[in-house]
Amino acid sequence: MLQDILVTGLVNGGVYALLAIGFSLIFGVARIVNIAHTAFYMLAAYCFYTLLTKTNLGFVLSGLIAVGAVTLFSVLCYRLVIEPVREHEAAVLIATIALALIFQELMLFSFGGHFLGIPSTLEGSVRLLGVSIPYQRLLILAVAAAMLAIVWYLLYRTRLGLAIRATANDLEVANLMGMNVHRVAMATVAISVSLAAVAGVVVAPVFVVDPFMWLAPLVTMLAIVVLGGLGSLKGSLIGALIIGYVEAITVFAVPAGAYLKGAVALLIMVIVLLARPEGLFGVAFEEER
Amino acid sequence: MLRMLIVGLAACATALGAQAQTIKIAILGPMSFVQGENHWAGAEMARDEINQAGGVSVGGKRMQIELIRADTNEMTSVPDATNAVERVITRDKADFLIGGFRSEAVLAMQEVAMDYKKIFLGAGAAHSKLGANVEANYERYKYWFRYTPTKDVDLARTLFAVMGSIGQQIRTELKTDTPKVALLAEKAVWTEGLIAAAQKNLPAMKMEVVGLWQPSATATDVTAELSAIDRAGAQIVFTMLSGPVGISVGRQMGERNMKAVAWGINVEGQKDEFWKAAAGKAQFVSTLDTYAEVEMTPKTIPFVQAFKKRYNKAPTYNAATYDAIMFLKANIEQVGSLDADKLVAAMEKAEHVGTGSIVTFDKRHDLVWAVGKTAGIAVQWQDGQKVPFWPPSVKGMKPFKLPAR
Amino acid sequence: MHTGMTYPLRRAWAELKNEVLVLPSRTLVFLWVVALLALPAVYGDAYVMRILTMTCIFAIFAASWDLLAGYTGQVNFGHALFFGAGAYASALLSLKLGLSPWLTIWAGAAVAMFFGFVVGYLCLRLRGSYLSLATLAFPLIALGLLFAFPDFSGGELGISGLRRLALTPTANYYLAVLSMLAIVFGLWLLADSKFGIVLHAIRDDEVAARASGINTLRYKMVVFAISGAAAGFSGALFAHYLRVAGPSTLEVALSFQVVIWGIFGGAATIYGPVAAVFILYPLTEWLGSFRAFGELRLLIFAIIVLLVLLFMPRGLTPWVRDKIETPCPRCKQRNGSWRSACRLCGVTLQPEVPGAQRLVGHQ
Repeated sequence: MLQDILVTGLVNGGVYALLAIGFSLIFGVARIVNIAHTAFYMLAAYCFYTLLTKTNLGFVLSGLIAVGAVTLFSVLCYRLVIEPVREHEAAVLIATIALALIFQELMLFSFGGHFLGIPSTLEGSVRLLGVSIPYQRLLILAVAAAMLAIVWYLLYRTRLGLAIRATANDLEVANLMGMNVHRVAMATVAISVSLAAVAGVVVAPVFVVDPFMWLAPLVTMLAIVVLGGLGSLKGSLIGALIIGYVEAITVFAVPAGAYLKGAVALLIMVIVLLARPEGLFGVAFEEER
Repeated sequence: MLRMLIVGLAACATALGAQAQTIKIAILGPMSFVQGENHWAGAEMARDEINQAGGVSVGGKRMQIELIRADTNEMTSVPDATNAVERVITRDKADFLIGGFRSEAVLAMQEVAMDYKKIFLGAGAAHSKLGANVEANYERYKYWFRYTPTKDVDLARTLFAVMGSIGQQIRTELKTDTPKVALLAEKAVWTEGLIAAAQKNLPAMKMEVVGLWQPSATATDVTAELSAIDRAGAQIVFTMLSGPVGISVGRQMGERNMKAVAWGINVEGQKDEFWKAAAGKAQFVSTLDTYAEVEMTPKTIPFVQAFKKRYNKAPTYNAATYDAIMFLKANIEQVGSLDADKLVAAMEKAEHVGTGSIVTFDKRHDLVWAVGKTAGIAVQWQDGQKVPFWPPSVKGMKPFKLPAR
Repeated sequence: MHTGMTYPLRRAWAELKNEVLVLPSRTLVFLWVVALLALPAVYGDAYVMRILTMTCIFAIFAASWDLLAGYTGQVNFGHALFFGAGAYASALLSLKLGLSPWLTIWAGAAVAMFFGFVVGYLCLRLRGSYLSLATLAFPLIALGLLFAFPDFSGGELGISGLRRLALTPTANYYLAVLSMLAIVFGLWLLADSKFGIVLHAIRDDEVAARASGINTLRYKMVVFAISGAAAGFSGALFAHYLRVAGPSTLEVALSFQVVIWGIFGGAATIYGPVAAVFILYPLTEWLGSFRAFGELRLLIFAIIVLLVLLFMPRGLTPWVRDKIETPCPRCKQRNGSWRSACRLCGVTLQPEVPGAQRLVGHQ
């Protein structure tokens, strides 16, 4: 049982980390609570599905096109919908909710409420510590690790990363230092959504694709991000693993209570917040004025 | 402006004129979903068939059937569903209501329909409470009939009947005395009774229950549950699933090469899209079902073939709206009027041979359960085909297969 | 005798003319109240009354959210918790104990108030986005508990067969309208009182408010409780009107819906969210009645919300109010925009400097 918990928790944690880090990034840099984040993940899954089943592009090309298209689309959405109301925090919030609803309804309209399945990128499975793990899951783990490495490199080894971190640290000073904070925000949106899109492409073959698939991971992702500390990438990564393991332990320890895994994860989040209101790795509140 | 007014008036006039000769039937369902699509498709087929044959004869007068398509949006909003019922009754002046799927919504929809004393034929929700209402307060709820499916308690009887024959097959093929069964039920009220019955009946049927796993109905990942089931060495996975989790179970069982075979209720597994949705991995997943090209009744095969021809896919149980309309027609013609009270009296006594079942009603206005009549059929997915294998008494059944060891 | 009879009437007319009709916004509210009360007599259509009954119930819900989120800045993402708590509490009490729903709706409000205290207490140390995202969790945890105890809660089916509050559509309609008017005006008065000013202060700068000797923690708890009670009352009305209290009263969709209503109408106004519900709810229902594109109602709804926001980022009612009224620069009283001098102090009204609008909330 221990092996099962170790492996399952790690794989699920990897998926969550992909989603949570992107969300955390855009919050840290632009203070946008992007409710539509997982809706982009859904769009990528649908896009990948369509390309894969309607064309002969193959997995890699379909995946790349899906990620690219969704990322471009997100930048477009940001320019058209979010940027004009950036001044108004509340308006940004419901703009992202409205965007998510629009995506959901568009998919419902064009694909119906059917549950769609995407063929696995890699067939077959491997036995590890006596647990059978499909290759697809290992792929997810590998992609998650690779993406995290890329993001780390981007943030800490490039000029753009420096700009993003500076903006996250203090928007006004970054602006005064002559940085184009709008462009930095846009780049962050693109990075953040591309992470969600990658998640959509690699994870979708494991789950089912349907117009409401963005809601459940949204809640889990928010729990992780709050748990780890908003805007903290390290926090998101560790939060994702914590929630992944908490869910796995719930399922294995109380099989008849498997449905409670979501509620237990949220409960953990609430408990952590009570003890540490800024999350595990969040920056303690500076009184923002 | 003036022209619009005239056109509008003309439309009103024709509507008024038409009202005298049509029977208005509202089809209520989640129209963006497979359930609603089938509700509507079945009803369309019945309407076209009846109208082409000259309509319904009501006391010597010929009346055409007019369908009202009402999206209940019940998957996301219960108030929307009740609003839709109110609208079709008071605005569209519907004479009869057919449809409904999500039990929480149908319970609320039932109330509105009963307020207006409109006959409401359920075609989707299985919860006993709907029928219990009829028994508890007959005068108010007598206008409700559940045309499909059988109530949840009766579903159990079918499930164990099939389970018995699968268990027998496992005993002979795997040379074991007590087949091991894992219960995999989504956490929902409708599975409660089934779980209790399974834990009581299976040991009596010489089967061992190795555990109970309850994922949420909306879960899409059951890897953790399945690895635990694998470890418990189950040979049969008794599924009680209505949500998308049914697809994940089928697919992930295939991906992990599990030796266990899945039998039970898997609502997603009843749909034609299931095989593709599970990425072709759901080999040997079996489920209770309603329609297949077998001679359940003389009408089954022609209906299923006509349906496939028109909509390019097989009907699900929600397409019993077809039967419901035919059932209404038969009773209207017998009574000779559209009067709800007279029709209720006639429908209580009627026996109707439909396309998927032979229907009679009990005092709760639920279907009377009987193998070969309302118990439905069992099907198994084999190489992309949904193959019927039970009840053996019906012509056209094929053998049930176990995964290779 | 004669004058004695007419004096109250004359007085009422004078009040109406001098206090209500002088301002377009007040006139609109007055007309809206009159129309709501007169509707069944003029156009007693059962369908229209059902829609408006639902609208009124959700209007209470939206207004209660605004007191918490708009005025106090505690942007609650899990407001459905209170709605669901009210619905379930009232449903259980009336069904299991056989109490009259007229009593249990108050009990529902009381239970929701208790939940408000609890959530308020748990969230005392949380701020901003943390608070929003943490509150999102509460209704979902409650939902998990409901599914864990199906004998008690009815699981996914909820609790059905509830007794109704009133028998006829008209009676139900008046019940909803009067409750809505009473609660919404109550909340509005509260928000306009000294209490409301303290809430404003907490939202704009909690540290400064605390430094001025205000016990901000206690205020926040009280606001959570009041807001919870109002939302619970609407939830209880909802349950007894539909005669089902189910898990859909706790879903994320409902929590998001109220956020949309609140911000679309204009936060920190009370009347804004109410106006939003009165526009958006019937609109979606009307869109749903078209057979050709009824299934697209939510899509059209979301697009409308998005477009309106692009033009009115502070919400609908503040935008409309700025168009039809101008505040006096000296005495801060509002005047119809056609006036050239203030109706109270007579100072000349200048057109507002474009672009110098006050921003809602802190940046």
